[in-house]
Amino acid sequence: MRTDVAARGPEGSAFARASSRGARHFVLGVLGVLVLGIVWQIGTWYLVSQPETRAFGNFGPIPTFQAFPRLWEQGRIQSAINASLVDRLATGLFIAALIGIPLGILVGRSKWFREISHSPFQFIRMISPLAWMPLAVLVFPGWNWAIVYLIVIAAVWPVTYATAAGLAKLEPAWYKVARNLGASRIQILKEIVLPAIAFDMFSGLRLALGVAWIVLVPAELLGVTSGLGYAIKDARETVDYSYLTAMVLTIGVIGFLLDSIFVALINRYSWYHRRTAS
Amino acid sequence: MKEHDASKHEDGRLTFVPDDRDIANGRHTECSCVELMGNLPPDDPNIADGEPDPKLKADYDPQDPSSGLLALTGAGAGIERRSFLKAGLVTGLTAMMPQAWAQKPKDEVVRVGYIPITDAAALLIAHDQGMYKKNGLDAVRPELHRGWTPLVEAFQAHRHNIAHMLNPIPIWMRYNNKFPIKITAWDHTNGSACVVGRHTGATSFKDFGGMQVAVPWWYSNHNIILQVFLRDAGITPVIRPQEAKLAPNECNLLVLAPPDMPPAIAARKIDAYIVAEPFNSLGELKAGAKVLRFTGDFWKGHPCCVVVMHEADVEDPGRRAWTQAVTDAVVEAQIWIAENRKEAALRLSRDGGNYLPFPFEVIDRAMNFYDPAYYSNPPAIKHLEWAQSRINMQAWPYPSATRFVADELRRVVLTGDKTFLNNLETDFIIKDLVNYDFIRKSLEKNPRWRKDLSVPQTGNPYDRKEVFRI
Amino acid sequence: MSAVPAVAEPTGAVWLDFLKKWARIGGTKIFNFVAGLAILVALWWLGVWYITLDPALEHFRSFAPNRAIFEGIPAMWEFGGIQRGLGASGYRLGMGMLIAIAIGVPLGILVGRSELFGDMTHLPFQLLRMVSPLSWEPIAVIAFATWDRAIIFLIVMGAVWPVMFATAAGIAKIDPAWFKVARNLGAKRLHVLTQVILPAVTYDVLTGIRLAVGVAWIVLIPAEFFGTRAGIGYTIEDARENLFYDQMMGMIVLIGVIGYILDTILVQLLNRANWVRET
Repeated sequence: MRTDVAARGPEGSAFARASSRGARHFVLGVLGVLVLGIVWQIGTWYLVSQPETRAFGNFGPIPTFQAFPRLWEQGRIQSAINASLVDRLATGLFIAALIGIPLGILVGRSKWFREISHSPFQFIRMISPLAWMPLAVLVFPGWNWAIVYLIVIAAVWPVTYATAAGLAKLEPAWYKVARNLGASRIQILKEIVLPAIAFDMFSGLRLALGVAWIVLVPAELLGVTSGLGYAIKDARETVDYSYLTAMVLTIGVIGFLLDSIFVALINRYSWYHRRTAS
Repeated sequence: MKEHDASKHEDGRLTFVPDDRDIANGRHTECSCVELMGNLPPDDPNIADGEPDPKLKADYDPQDPSSGLLALTGAGAGIERRSFLKAGLVTGLTAMMPQAWAQKPKDEVVRVGYIPITDAAALLIAHDQGMYKKNGLDAVRPELHRGWTPLVEAFQAHRHNIAHMLNPIPIWMRYNNKFPIKITAWDHTNGSACVVGRHTGATSFKDFGGMQVAVPWWYSNHNIILQVFLRDAGITPVIRPQEAKLAPNECNLLVLAPPDMPPAIAARKIDAYIVAEPFNSLGELKAGAKVLRFTGDFWKGHPCCVVVMHEADVEDPGRRAWTQAVTDAVVEAQIWIAENRKEAALRLSRDGGNYLPFPFEVIDRAMNFYDPAYYSNPPAIKHLEWAQSRINMQAWPYPSATRFVADELRRVVLTGDKTFLNNLETDFIIKDLVNYDFIRKSLEKNPRWRKDLSVPQTGNPYDRKEVFRI
Repeated sequence: MSAVPAVAEPTGAVWLDFLKKWARIGGTKIFNFVAGLAILVALWWLGVWYITLDPALEHFRSFAPNRAIFEGIPAMWEFGGIQRGLGASGYRLGMGMLIAIAIGVPLGILVGRSELFGDMTHLPFQLLRMVSPLSWEPIAVIAFATWDRAIIFLIVMGAVWPVMFATAAGIAKIDPAWFKVARNLGAKRLHVLTQVILPAVTYDVLTGIRLAVGVAWIVLIPAEFFGTRAGIGYTIEDARENLFYDQMMGMIVLIGVIGYILDTILVQLLNRANWVRET
């Protein structure tokens, strides 16, 4: 229902319609966030009105926004983002892609591999990343690598299976045509396979990002002293709830921005010029 | 936001100067109250600034707009207190305000919260051996949390009315977060040790240069004691990422959950750790670690975990009987444990009442195994004459110990914001944080508590000088 | 294979034929299933063996598969850790998933069908989605009377998003012409919902549920750090604190098995619901 009728229209009106739709989209989005903020404030009022839960008043939006300048000054936000995003999340996702995409191609192309790997992959996939923690502590030389491992082991599955799904959509006829035209295997990979699976690959990476975010917070319970997950832990330990909600908001915003990048990539490579619904 | 000159408050009290952090946290309202009402000095020097006066029937809460009406009419908490109560204005308003907690029905059931370490023994045995019942109390089975964070949160949400916490945690909760918590007794003494990995070959704290050491929590007596040892050995504690370079006289600290410490030391991720039992026993038994020093052998009869309760239960006259009964039960449990050590270990373990998920051997070792011959290299027990054990059950919260902890907290290295300590007088903390009435009465009823040698055997048993022997 | 002549053949050859046919179709799948798992177990054993070559790590040999399966699982069964844990956690997971579906599907339909609602909620939902379920823990403690409900809340906060977004994506795939046709044929809104929308989105909803189950598993273990008395996470933590790694890995094996069964059921449902040509 939100399929792009505009995309099929003439150039000029498409742009006009797209930009007015974009503006409307933006305004409604802001409205939605405002509604969220109001709900948040109502919840806080309720918390504060009960004597039992008054101590949790700092969860509210006002203390949270007041906490931001303080935290920024102390450099805590920047260092947490740096430690989590750059060192751990990016590395973890990169390795997950590095392992997941070739694995996905294998799963998609080779029936034998798909069947042999089905049971062990499904099995490992079901193990909560946190159950890996004692093993990770034992095996990896540093805390950062243990955390990266936890992210990889959670994020590699969406990438693998999405890539495999993308491969399954390829028409076998295309391989025939390519081979008839004299394409080498590399050329087939570059010109046919990769563009075709790009959409699903990015969908998989997007899912992987989502899972990685969820895992990051408990993963940073390991012996590190920096990072967004550590900040959440620190905030809970020191019962500083405005700090907690400020960091939660930060995570939410960053996560949203990263996710939007992936959505843009997905739409760019989408065959049907269809806007992703979410 | 104007600068609030807090020096107008009478001394002997918290000289509270709200700084930017307080404003950021929305805790500037003490200022706005004062601005509204003029600089009225508070009535009761024993009540901390910003604390809801339990004698006041209604509170002004900065986040609740409806209570702004109260503030305007001058019934705000933290400043007005009894002067307005006397005026009777509040009584009328009480009927209107839903948050008048004095009207809330009180919970008579004892709800204990704990984490699975031997420190919790007294609170658990009091349930297991029926001391709560003997004192006329209904008690549900104590609830286990896997870490200080869930326990603190559950306590704050009033899921528990009694818990044990690391000694510095209530200091933080009460003075930084303004949560009305009170220490009512010591949960136990000693019960911790510092262990080193076999791979380090360390025989004293002087060898700690360049090592990675784990503590269970920044706000713990473990952290404090460790840093005292380090300072004495000329090592500087720092907090850096794992790969960072360390000078030869620096030692890197980090926080780990106690169950992660034995595997981390076996895998050489850390070189030493200091923690409560039974994780030292587990480190010895399963991770090849060696006990370097028992903390009770350095600081005679030191507190580690304390018994905490909500201020409401402690201050409200209607609750006095309940609080006294609970404290009596805990003291009786402590004496029972001191006199029935093996059976206590059995009842606590998974082979008994399953309060702590460890087998009997581990708990028994953690509580009772204190053989100087076994621990001779490195010498972890140097002061046999103190006649302490791996854990002791002494409940009187010596002010001198609280003084030491409060003073040390100011200079201990940790992450987090310690500025709230700058404006606190240690004398004030000693008087304000701990309630001595109930525990004193319990101890007077049970004189056998004096058998522990960390209690002065001559003179006044309720006052001592802290003994440290490195 | 050559056709079997009408003349009576020795019985053995008939049986051999039958076995060969069966082995080719059914057996290969089972063989692959077992072979795959066997390779995994072998790699697992090798990994533990290699890591624990260091004598200081001798105690950690309990991570090995043989210890986990033959020592860990029986030990836990004996003291009831498995039964109680599965019962308690199963209840929480089940309730959590049910509530996540009950909230996620209608919300997803709303987001998909109503452009206004979708645009308004896009940003807030994306923000909320990124909040790690574990950051909700302090709120869970305050808001819910029992630990079970707090844990279920945490699971829902993790699992509702995949379900909702998958449902919305499924709605977006529906050809708008169908709604026109349904309206022209006089369908009421309820009919449109039950006859057009739900069958069309079933595939995507099931995909979303599959993802949500994965997230729920991740959240369950740290969620059970609170004051419960039984659960999978609880049993794992007990084992972990004791350094009983054979029991811990045994529990992990069980989780893997259960998760696998659950996922297989979902996939079967998926294949039934898949009216598009292929997956």
